[in-house]
Parts: sequence; structure tokens; C-alpha cells
Amino acid sequence: MTQLREKILVTASNLFQTQGINSTGVDKIVAVAGTTKMTLYKYFTSKENLILEVLEKGHHDFQAWLSEKLNSNTKKPSEKLQNLFEFIEEWVTSPNFRGMGFIKASAEFPNEESPVHQLSSAQSQQFRQYISSLASEANIQDADGLALQLSLLFEGAVQAEQMKRGSGAMKYAKKAAKILIDGAIQA
Amino acid sequence: MDIFNSQWLLSMLEKSSKTPQGRILSLFDILSDWLAVPEIQVNLSLNLNTNSQLVDFFTQQATALGASNPSILAEHIVLIARNAVHHEMGQPGGGSLLHAKKAANALILAQTQKEWGWLDNIRIKSQVYGIAASIFLLAGLSLVWLPPLLQKNQPPLLVNLLNNDLAKASIATVNPSNSKLSASDAVTMYAKYEQMRNGTCQFPEALQIPDKDKAIYLENVVGGKLPTNLSDLAIANIYLEKVRCNYTPMLMANSTS
Repeated sequence: MTQLREKILVTASNLFQTQGINSTGVDKIVAVAGTTKMTLYKYFTSKENLILEVLEKGHHDFQAWLSEKLNSNTKKPSEKLQNLFEFIEEWVTSPNFRGMGFIKASAEFPNEESPVHQLSSAQSQQFRQYISSLASEANIQDADGLALQLSLLFEGAVQAEQMKRGSGAMKYAKKAAKILIDGAIQA
Repeated sequence: MDIFNSQWLLSMLEKSSKTPQGRILSLFDILSDWLAVPEIQVNLSLNLNTNSQLVDFFTQQATALGASNPSILAEHIVLIARNAVHHEMGQPGGGSLLHAKKAANALILAQTQKEWGWLDNIRIKSQVYGIAASIFLLAGLSLVWLPPLLQKNQPPLLVNLLNNDLAKASIATVNPSNSKLSASDAVTMYAKYEQMRNGTCQFPEALQIPDKDKAIYLENVVGGKLPTNLSDLAIANIYLEKVRCNYTPMLMANSTS
């Protein structure tokens, strides 16, 4: 990837997260990135493709960070599950937190036909499946059910944090997650 | 119109339950019933800040519940419900609202059961105090009751020996299989039994025990019955050492990471 392409991607990602996807025009992206529309379209062909690449990169980076954190701390599946919200809280409360790409994109592109909506739904599902696989490894009977409960808690807390920075929603989500995980382990 | 902004939803919630928690959690049942209506027109606003009346209503309920942060609890539960409706629309019959209700209930617990750690400490302390009190009680009772009982049940030979100064020197050579337990031995054993009753113990398999010790093991270790002589006591103690007990309360054991 060329440096300029990378710069456009990072600039677009920051603008989408801070100002919204629909309200960020291509003109603004090229102005902030210090390039031209022609260069942007050379690399991404359309704004929609740029949004899709931003979403792909953001989700990949988050999943890689989370997996690395979970795997480096313990090998026990039940402990990985318990640690999940610990690390998510760490991420949400960090100064660099700008929100979750697929949650924002899903809200801004409600039309189910939209490729952006479809990708954000797929990423939400991937995250839920990741939690479900952790729950299965921890021998939890209803792994999919627990994964849905935890992902609803997580997405709600991230939205609350996006609406009001420092809301503390993730702190309570973490406690609630522990109650749900403990209950599922005992079941 | 966005269902989350409707007066209908508010009036349904108001009459749904007599308790604040019930009024909050019934949101998920009402939405589930509403989504099951044929040909329903689902229209959710994109602006998450528009559900202020519902959030205000839930904030009141959360305050009545004694939540640590009522407004955050209210907002979070409304967001969970909205996401669950979206999810249910994408995967009808997936039980999203039921799982969302469980998540919301856990969130209510997380904000209202803030004294859990304190209660755990109290529970652990009361168990420790209980064990200690039992040991002291047993020790006291043993000191009062065991010496006369031991003397009363001693075979004539031993009674005679105890009463005969000349025989005192030969006590050490008495066969342990005929020797009775002292009060102190009994107290120690009772303390061990009492301690084991307060834990979750794994006993060695009886099949692994030599036949000559099996009866003692089953009666005096597994059965928790006091050995009748010092020889049995010594054998029982060997196997008591092999019993592995976990005294961590269940709640704490699950919370350790």
C-alpha cells in the first residue's frame, strides 16, 4: 500500500469517526489528507468503496488487538471470556477511542440493500461469533445465547459512550457481563 | 412513528408491573409481542437522542430501584432494546428480545447489587467464625464429658494400671490398638471433621486403599466417625492427609480469574 493511499484511509477513518460518515464529503477528506479527488478515486474508485475499506481495516485492527490481548494473558477459555470486557473497557476508555466503526455505519446506513449496511451487519455478526467461540471453548451450553447477550451489552455500552464520552456505561456493562458469564458457567 | 417515542409504549409500560424493575424489563416483552403482530410497520429513528421520554421514564424507575447511575442505566437499556429489535428484524424468531431482557436484568443487578463484595466478606467471616465457635464448643464439651467417659469405658486392665503407681511406668508399652483416644485427640479429630464439612472434599478411591485399612478409612475418614483407639486414629490420620478439600465459597471460586 502506498503511503498516500494509507494517509487517505487514516484521514477518512478519523473524519468518519469524529464527524460521521454521511456528513464527511470527499472534498473534506482530500483537503485534510492533502491530496486530490483524482488520487482518491484512483485508489478507492468511490466514496462507498473508501467507507468499506475503512470499516474493514478498523474491524481487522480491533479484532487483532483483542485476540492478542486475550491470548497473551491466559490460555484458559473461561478466563479469556472473563477478561473480554476487561480489555474492551480498556479500549473504550482510552483517549484514542472514537467509537466502533460497524456500530456507527449500521446506524448511518439503515437500508439493508446498502453494501455498507451489509458489511457492518456482517462485522457485528463476526464479533458475536467470536464471543460464541470463546464461550464454546469454555464449555458453556448456550454459547450463542450468551454471545448475543454479551454483544447486546457491548454494542449498547459503545453507543452510550459514543453519545456521551466518559458515561461509565462500559463499567456497568463489564459488571453485568460478569454476572451473565458466571451464570452461564454454573448452568 | 418510532415505537420508542410512542405514548402507547409508555402507557403500556406504566401499567405493566407494580415494581420498577418489572416496568423496565416488561419493555422487552411488549416489544416482542409488538414485533409478532402481522404486517407490522417497524420504523426506528436514526437519531438515538430522540427517545427522551422513554429514557426519562426509565431513569425514574432506575432511581426508584436505587441504581448507582440511573440515567446511564436507562439509556443503556433503551439502546439494548433498540439493537435487539434490529437484530430480531434481521433474524426473526432468534430470541433476541429474550436475550436482551437477560442482559438488561444483569445490568440492573450490576447497578443495584453494589454490596456484593461486602456481603461476601460477611459470609466468609461468618463461616470462619462458625467453624471456630464449633471447635471451641467441641473442645469445651470434650473437656467436661470425655475424661469421665473414657475412664468409665476403660477396660479393667487400664483402670487398674491408672490406679496403680507401680504400673505407671508400663503405660508407654501398652498396645496402641487397645489404647483409648485422649480428649485432645478427640477434639482434634472433631475439628478435622467439622472443617471438612465446610468444604467440598475429594476422597481417595476406596479401591486404592489396602484391605486392612479399608474399614477404618470408610468409617473414620469418609464416615466421619471417631476412631475407637490410637491405632485406628493413626491410620485414619494418614488417609485424612490425602483428602483434598476446597474451602473457597462458590461465589468466590467463580469470580477468580
